[in-house]
Amino acid sequence: MTTESIAGAMCFLGALIVMPIVVLGLIRKIKARFQNRVGPPLLQPFFDIALLFRKRETVSDVTSWVFHGSAALILAVMLIQAVLIPWLSFKPAVPGADLILVLYLFALSKLALIFFAFDSASPFGAFGASREVTLSLLVEPASMLSLAALAIQSQSTDLSRIFAYGANGLHEPVLWCIAGMCLLLASLVELSRMPVDDPTTHLELTMVHEAMILEASGPTLAVNELSHAIHMTILFGLVGQCFIHAVVGATAISPPVLAALSVGCTFIIAALVAVFESVAVRVHWRKAPEFIAYAVTFGLFACLFVIAGSHQP
Amino acid sequence: MNLSLIDSLAMGAALVGPMMAGSGHLRTNLSLYGVQTALLAVASGLVADSKHEPTMYVVALAIVVLKAIAIPFFLNWIAGRIAVRTDSTFWLRPPVAMHLCVLFLGFSYVLSQQLPVDAARHYSQIGATAAISLVLSGLVLMLTRRLAISQIVGFLVTENGIYLFALTQTNGMPLFVEMGILLDVLAGVMIAGLLLFDIKKSFEHIDVEKLADLKD
Repeated sequence: MTTESIAGAMCFLGALIVMPIVVLGLIRKIKARFQNRVGPPLLQPFFDIALLFRKRETVSDVTSWVFHGSAALILAVMLIQAVLIPWLSFKPAVPGADLILVLYLFALSKLALIFFAFDSASPFGAFGASREVTLSLLVEPASMLSLAALAIQSQSTDLSRIFAYGANGLHEPVLWCIAGMCLLLASLVELSRMPVDDPTTHLELTMVHEAMILEASGPTLAVNELSHAIHMTILFGLVGQCFIHAVVGATAISPPVLAALSVGCTFIIAALVAVFESVAVRVHWRKAPEFIAYAVTFGLFACLFVIAGSHQP
Repeated sequence: MNLSLIDSLAMGAALVGPMMAGSGHLRTNLSLYGVQTALLAVASGLVADSKHEPTMYVVALAIVVLKAIAIPFFLNWIAGRIAVRTDSTFWLRPPVAMHLCVLFLGFSYVLSQQLPVDAARHYSQIGATAAISLVLSGLVLMLTRRLAISQIVGFLVTENGIYLFALTQTNGMPLFVEMGILLDVLAGVMIAGLLLFDIKKSFEHIDVEKLADLKD
């Protein structure tokens, strides 16, 4: 191992620890600013989570080992995903980052979250879980189609090859833009963010993600919050990578600039999402499929682009 | 696939078509129509630049002012006056109509490959695909919506498609032809807008399905 790769790995580790906290804090800060509040400091989520770890836990007496097991499983899956998915340009290359494995590891974490919600036997948890299943069913084609289009174009399902930079990368600005838009819309749904679910709602009847972790408290809640923050950062980072690829193209850019660009892009996307959440309203639950249809449409556009490109004379 | 800038703009305009079919919000539809027309205007400007035809700049400017700004504002004003915000009655649900438009986009690619092409002349296949798919998207909009105002929007999208076909295949038409068409579209939209007021006054709604109600 060279010094450079060790330095890259250390940077990646630092980013993995700091970025989820800052992304969460940034979104809270911007939303607060839009409501004419000063807002908490950027690192406040870190102190919140640290406080939750010190608190005593209240657990419903009908829960079994599944409750804590699922929370741990979700965090484990998110950490594995963070290592597998190329969401930062300086992430050390790891073999086996297959796109189907990655997508269904996300599905596994979702399944664990649904078990978590059902295990506490709370009716609100079951509400949230059933909505989450509906949303994931609808949004799965979108993320699958866009990533599959990228995979076909670069002739590999290995994500680290698809998202490779430099001469052996994929230079299709239009395709990257379409795939990025598709992944952005899909990640808003996957993360239960604004147009389909309001993360700051206090009404249990309309919650999706929040309803599922309603019964969590203390360290379990902290673990859930942490995995959600990592999930969010990975997805925003991946969307950012798509847009960076669209802009950079075939031009050679030195790794430090690229690294700064990927970190900056993740924060910009988080900020844009926060602005969008401040000005937009949540759509009616029955209208959510209409929003998700847009993500699927972008996925279909990406596929059409690839098919048309392969028949180009 | 290597796309020229004009082709990318044409394709961008064509991708807005399905998105319009996916929303029943009149204001969203009108602003998307404005974006689509602005993309076409930029494409016309680029054609003017590459072919050194100064009159095309005038056409591009007229399109921006009349079609991308004036018509959406006018229709939005009418929608406000007759108090219609969303087209909530559809023959086909918006997501289905949107996916149908994507299907038509693929179909128009196949169609554009079948067009008889004179090898000596300039032929832009991507431009033809975008134009045909815009025409088809406009037709889907007109056929699936029941409010008269959405059908006007569908007609305008179809018109955009025909304009795009002329732009990408013939390097733009003469200034007088373009101006005549623009004037026709403007007059058409104005008359349709005034008719909407009358329909609203005599039927108290603008649902085209119920227009047959007065029949014996």
